[in-house]
Amino acid sequence: MSTEIKFKSPGFFERLKGMLGVDFYRLFHTPMFYIFLGIAAVIPALILGTQGTDGASILYTNTWQIIAADTPLYAVSSIAEYANMNMVFIFGGIMVSIFIGHDYKSGYVKQLFTTHSKKKDYMMSKSLVCAFAMACMCITYTIGATGAGLVAGTSFAVNAGSLLIAIVSKMILSLGWASLYTFLNVIFRRYFGISIVSSFLIGTGLPILAVGMILGNASGSVLNLFLYGASVFACLSANPVTLLVCTAVSVIWAVIYNTAGSIVLARSDVY
Amino acid sequence: MNAIEINGLTKRFGSKAAVSGLTMTVPEGAIYGFIGENGSGKSTTEKMICGLLIPNGGFIRLYGREYTDETIRATVGVLIESPGCFPNISVWNNMMLQAANLGVKNPEEEIGRVLKMVRMEGAASNKYKNCSLGMKQRIGIAMALLGHPKLLVLDEPINGLDADGMRLMREILTDLTKSQGCTVLISSHILGELEKIATHYGIIRRGKMIKEMTAAQLEANCRTYIALRTGDMARTRMLLSGRYLQVKEENEELRVYDAAAPEEIVTWLYGQGILVSEIRTAKVGLEEYYIDLMGEKEGR
Repeated sequence: MSTEIKFKSPGFFERLKGMLGVDFYRLFHTPMFYIFLGIAAVIPALILGTQGTDGASILYTNTWQIIAADTPLYAVSSIAEYANMNMVFIFGGIMVSIFIGHDYKSGYVKQLFTTHSKKKDYMMSKSLVCAFAMACMCITYTIGATGAGLVAGTSFAVNAGSLLIAIVSKMILSLGWASLYTFLNVIFRRYFGISIVSSFLIGTGLPILAVGMILGNASGSVLNLFLYGASVFACLSANPVTLLVCTAVSVIWAVIYNTAGSIVLARSDVY
Repeated sequence: MNAIEINGLTKRFGSKAAVSGLTMTVPEGAIYGFIGENGSGKSTTEKMICGLLIPNGGFIRLYGREYTDETIRATVGVLIESPGCFPNISVWNNMMLQAANLGVKNPEEEIGRVLKMVRMEGAASNKYKNCSLGMKQRIGIAMALLGHPKLLVLDEPINGLDADGMRLMREILTDLTKSQGCTVLISSHILGELEKIATHYGIIRRGKMIKEMTAAQLEANCRTYIALRTGDMARTRMLLSGRYLQVKEENEELRVYDAAAPEEIVTWLYGQGILVSEIRTAKVGLEEYYIDLMGEKEGR
């Protein structure tokens, strides 16, 4: 029997819409997302709430220092200079690893790539959804920090505009970070443990911190071109230029990692 | 037009060639039974057709187009090994996710339709992880049927199905090809089941296609034999082996492949003092044909 078959070409937006729908559904229906939102809220609360106990020195005198340092510090000398909202990107990396790892473990990727879905759609969808998740973590982190500041009685004095720019810049940087983690997880897709460890190590910004230690804070203009550097740049003295730099860095790296990830996927077998 | 056309297809994993210069033609509207031993390259070939594995050489065309063309991919329904479902969400929601990826219009209606086809509508609210193996296979088939595919690629779809499930599968596939012009590529080790529905066969061995034929050609190629039972099978076998060249004992009956007619055997055995209690003429099935073919290739 022979029938005339009409082939319809699904457009890019049609494909992406379907895939984003699936990924957002999964995100909102997985307990992991809410656990990580909780972790992001609890971390600043724990740090601010427990400082000074046991006679230890006070790390933060101002509540907002738990969001970002007063000035960009690429070469840190204490945990107080390091521990701020950038930690969201470390936990975000672990979340992305679990999220993508589940795609492969369940066989969903196999099911997906037998359809008209393209590898670049997959990269893009994961990056956008995970960026959204990390941006949400930034918000719960801010809420946690505020609540902890109220309890701990630390100062709330701040330039509100700079604080807002710093938070929004970090949220925008989530896109670049999510793309980086998606790329890492595509590279190590068959080795879940390595995916998590690599995401964690890159998320800590150790390479940038090392360069910062060697070259000092003066190297900031170069380090700002990288995701961790730009994340440090988004501090309590942020201004509109900071927002522009962070947006540009986030988008450029997102494009780079998405392109690289798409190429890797297009040249690899799916198991 | 051919639904699948493959030429010189090669896939290597390291230095090992899983598929080597495979040629295959699946006509439109066929139910193509893809047969081979474990590790012969069936699944690897199907995974390449589905776009999961990247070939090292050769070409695959689906309905005359490059197999990677997304317009073609949108018309292919697939069940490879087991369905890729999330264990902690319901069957219905897993179907909804796949429908979203496929861009299915009116997904609720479509999911209802395919679940009804595989008689799984009652289990739609079950979590996928709580489904039995047979249920999971049915869900996988339902998923492959989403969006009215023109080509179905099914790898061992009847594994885990009960007798009712197998019968249902036969009905669905036959109906799809007859009423909708769908083409089915199906691999299975359960040759008896495959024989009931396949219109074409491809036999693969060590990554190469060794035989392609239609069901009619298989029928013509299959030898007839005479099967009989007597009160003294051991003596009968000894006697028949002295008179005929090809005598085998299988399923508690003796099979004579080179006798002209049952009457000839009955009369001759009667002369030897043996009474035949049961005798019939039968034809070698797909399974025996396949085993014989493999034996020939092995030089047995």
